[in-house]
Amino acid sequence: MNFADLIQIVWENLRAHRMRAVLTTIGIAIGIAGVIAVVAVGQGGQAVIISEIEKMGSSLYFDISPDYMRGETADSNTFSIEDPTIIKELSPAVDKMAAITLGPMVDVRLPNSDKNTIMASLYGTHPDLIHVLNLSIEKGRFITDLDVTSHSRVVVIDAGLAEDLFPKEDPLGKKIFVQDTPLTVVGVLEKAPSSMLDAFSVRMVYTPITQAQDMLNTRVINQLCGTAVSEEALPQAISDSIKILESRHSSVSKSYMGTTLEEQLEMVGKVTSILTTVIGAVAGIALLVGGVGVMNIMLVAVTERTREIGLLKALGARRRDIMQQFLGEAVALCLLGGLIGMIVGIGGAFAIALAAHWPPLISVWTVLLAIGFSVIIGLFFGLYPASRAASLSPAEALRHL
Amino acid sequence: MISVSGLTKVFGSGDAAVHALRGVDLEISEGDFVAVMGPSGSGKSTFLSILGCLERPSAGEYYLDGRDVNSLEDDELADLRNRKLGFVFQSFNLLPRHNVLRNVEMPLIYAGVPGDERRKRAQELLEQVGLGHRLTHKPAELSGGEQQRVAIARALANNPLVIFADEPTGNLDSKSSLEIMELFQKMHRAGRTIVMVTHEPDIAAYARRVIYFRDGKIVREEAKDELR
Repeated sequence: MNFADLIQIVWENLRAHRMRAVLTTIGIAIGIAGVIAVVAVGQGGQAVIISEIEKMGSSLYFDISPDYMRGETADSNTFSIEDPTIIKELSPAVDKMAAITLGPMVDVRLPNSDKNTIMASLYGTHPDLIHVLNLSIEKGRFITDLDVTSHSRVVVIDAGLAEDLFPKEDPLGKKIFVQDTPLTVVGVLEKAPSSMLDAFSVRMVYTPITQAQDMLNTRVINQLCGTAVSEEALPQAISDSIKILESRHSSVSKSYMGTTLEEQLEMVGKVTSILTTVIGAVAGIALLVGGVGVMNIMLVAVTERTREIGLLKALGARRRDIMQQFLGEAVALCLLGGLIGMIVGIGGAFAIALAAHWPPLISVWTVLLAIGFSVIIGLFFGLYPASRAASLSPAEALRHL
Repeated sequence: MISVSGLTKVFGSGDAAVHALRGVDLEISEGDFVAVMGPSGSGKSTFLSILGCLERPSAGEYYLDGRDVNSLEDDELADLRNRKLGFVFQSFNLLPRHNVLRNVEMPLIYAGVPGDERRKRAQELLEQVGLGHRLTHKPAELSGGEQQRVAIARALANNPLVIFADEPTGNLDSKSSLEIMELFQKMHRAGRTIVMVTHEPDIAAYARRVIYFRDGKIVREEAKDELR
């Protein structure tokens, strides 16, 4: 039997059982679509998170925090406001450094308006932060040393918040209330080109660290972050910083840990790829179930058509001809399901990516793998029934009812 | 052309063993028309299956067209059935999902006949059995007599040496039976060898030789002079 004949016969057979063929195809399509969409969304998300983190600073970035691996947390003795200045002076490896007192959720509102309170993250910090985090100012200025020493009631807001609070006006010089403390807006940051934080609506306000501590009524500094003079100096910068901190805070015997951007990226990469693998595995199980569906259909087809197989053998079909026909039907179902699943999966990945504002990362490999897998499922699950069908003696098969 | 000796067939084993054939010897020469009769369970259908190479005997010798059938591999038997043998069954056994033309084409497909030639040949055969106007119908859209005529056209596809028919008129009314037997007679006159199982004496009457089976053995044989 040549290929064109085979295709025609397979097509005529499948068309005769349209409903059954369609349902089986859907089963496979769901599995394939799931795998492709999950992997694409997962990889896209991973890429976005990584680019977000990369945007936080250069490859020179590092931060020092209490050693939370050993269960330590920051208290008022862990860091002091002067630490960054002293570390910069003592360590030639450290270029810029700022301390951060974090108010993870503060209320921001316009004066005389109790409504429209916006939730934001408050960063109480030093002037160096703008360099450490690679931020840039769109209007006005960032925090200055004078602001820090004089507890100035000033605030720098991000572009999103400026949009929210002052859609039509220039925010510079205006008063806003942060945790019910009136602050003057002295600067607006440039809008970050990304998206992920916008999507989650996390707004940022930056104040002098001294002012933030007054507002939050705390002396706790959560972490120090800084940059090294060069990538080679990064380990030196971290170990110097930790040594200086340990000697300066020896009375409380704290231990510190330093993290580089690289390490953070690695961690995020690990977490997201584990997530992708897990969800991918679930989708893979869906695919497997679809495959068992194909095998079931093929078994039914073989049992139901045993007589027909006997007849085909009587007409001169060889074992190979019977195998080809049944395998052909199974592969056709899976391939069709695979193509539909591919289209739906890619479409789905694009739709999710569009909604979540991140680029869909559909790798050719995922698609090839999914299609290849569907064909293999067809071959694998078609093989057993087909081989069973082909090994019957024609008389035996013809006696079958 | 067909020569069997000491043919036996046992189904199952031990106490459950059923002896369908208990030593059958027979010679059928080219162009003969043989009817096989006998009560049900007498082994006549099993005998036809073995002659048609649809089943292997448990013991005994079988020569078909000079070849030792027992020594052939499964694929060689498939080729033999494809090119040298044609089958007509009681229940027609057409492929329900394919149209009439495709049904007749099937043996030609397995024989590797190219598409155009195949369709032409199938069409000719269907015209010969009077169904040239039904090429694209599905089997279910035809009457029993018409379906059996499609089956005959299919049996003749590769111009076989022998036609095996198992109760070809068993599912047909008397008028259709008559039409079908006329086709068999036409084949016989054209020199085709035919072996037909039946339990109806008036159908067997079309044959030149009638063989009677009982308990897995040939018990009687009648030969007639050329009919009419």
